[in-house]
Amino acid sequence: MTSVSETVTTFEFPEIHNFPPFFTRQPNEDTWKVQRQLWCDLILAFYKHNRLSLMPLAEAATESPFSNRQIHRSLQVDTLREIIEELVRQGHAVWTGPKNAKDTCMVYWRKPEVWANIIHMWACEHSLCNTVLTLYELANGDDTVKQEFHGLDLSTLRRSLEILQSQGKAQMFAGTSDDDMGIKFFS
Amino acid sequence: MRKAVGIGGLRRKEAERQALSKKGTELAKREIDKLQEQIGLMKTNLEEFVREHQRDIRNNPVFRVQVQRMCQLIGVDPLASRKGYMAELLGVGDFYCELGIQIIDICVATRFMNGGLIDLEELRQRLIRRRLKGSEPVVEDDIKRAISQLAPLKGGYRIVDFGGRKIVQSVAREMNADTSMVLGLAQQTCKFTIEDVRIGLGWDEHRIRACVDDMLRSGIIWVDHQGAVMSEYWVPAFFSQISGASLSNKIIF
Repeated sequence: MTSVSETVTTFEFPEIHNFPPFFTRQPNEDTWKVQRQLWCDLILAFYKHNRLSLMPLAEAATESPFSNRQIHRSLQVDTLREIIEELVRQGHAVWTGPKNAKDTCMVYWRKPEVWANIIHMWACEHSLCNTVLTLYELANGDDTVKQEFHGLDLSTLRRSLEILQSQGKAQMFAGTSDDDMGIKFFS
Repeated sequence: MRKAVGIGGLRRKEAERQALSKKGTELAKREIDKLQEQIGLMKTNLEEFVREHQRDIRNNPVFRVQVQRMCQLIGVDPLASRKGYMAELLGVGDFYCELGIQIIDICVATRFMNGGLIDLEELRQRLIRRRLKGSEPVVEDDIKRAISQLAPLKGGYRIVDFGGRKIVQSVAREMNADTSMVLGLAQQTCKFTIEDVRIGLGWDEHRIRACVDDMLRSGIIWVDHQGAVMSEYWVPAFFSQISGASLSNKIIF
């Protein structure tokens, strides 16, 4: 069993994770599409399970799930990049860092559009509309401990709130730092 | 005996013939009646037997196979017609129909990564895993029967033998002799190299390459470049069963 020590429950890898060719980019285009989608699914499941979001590609390629020490196989960075391109196409990731470098990405195991809805519903249910909250309060405050978006990384949170703003469901206020940023929800 | 001549003689002869043929028909009829009576009795007994043991038939695969064999021996095919009284009584019509659908489901769902070849035992394990708890256990014989029932669908479902490993093929693609031979070679290790084929089958490079390319194209093998020496070609259909034993609790795609 592969141990993911930092998590309480062990992530269950799909069977194909032990299939050595899974770590080699398949030359057949049809097989590759299947392989790429299996990796996409695995990345989203793994990142959700471990609540991860930022992925520096070169570093990630040497670790689980992109490296399987039991069978001594690792994904090449170029192959991983191709997989991330697909995730980006599907709206489940964005490239961050210098443009065109494509060596770091944010994985959205849940799309910001969905987070936006969840957060807005939470605010409405808790009669927090028209009240100003800081982004820090939202992500790390005591009131949101039981919420799924508790502990959400700031970048994804901001992206989600921007969506709400564009829908006219919220207004953001600049603060002295990112944490200080304020948000006001409208019903 | 005096030779019968003239009208009288002819009439007598005709009467004799008629009497004989009447007797013959009578005898034949009696035989048929007797046979029908016996068949009827057997049918009743069989029905009674099946009705009595219906639960066992559904729940005990060994017994189910035995009943199937017995029916076959006496020329009653419980699956011959959907409306057949045996199928209705046994509930096997439903059983195999349901099983057939589940087989198609699994084959289609895994086809994209195994090129339409799945180990029979692997298929059985997946069937057991996906069937509701408490439903009848499935044995190899059931799968064979269900697959034979799928023939009219022309989906190409059939069981192929590779040196002792039974593989269910679910694509209507004619597997050429070279592919079959290479699969036969790889059935135990579930992988092979160009060199393995050269040594094992004595083919030249060109023939091996052509075969490997063809297998890659149809998705029944995957390549691994991180193996010991050279490119290794893996057969997912063979692999999954090996891993299935040790990783049976893992989730699968």
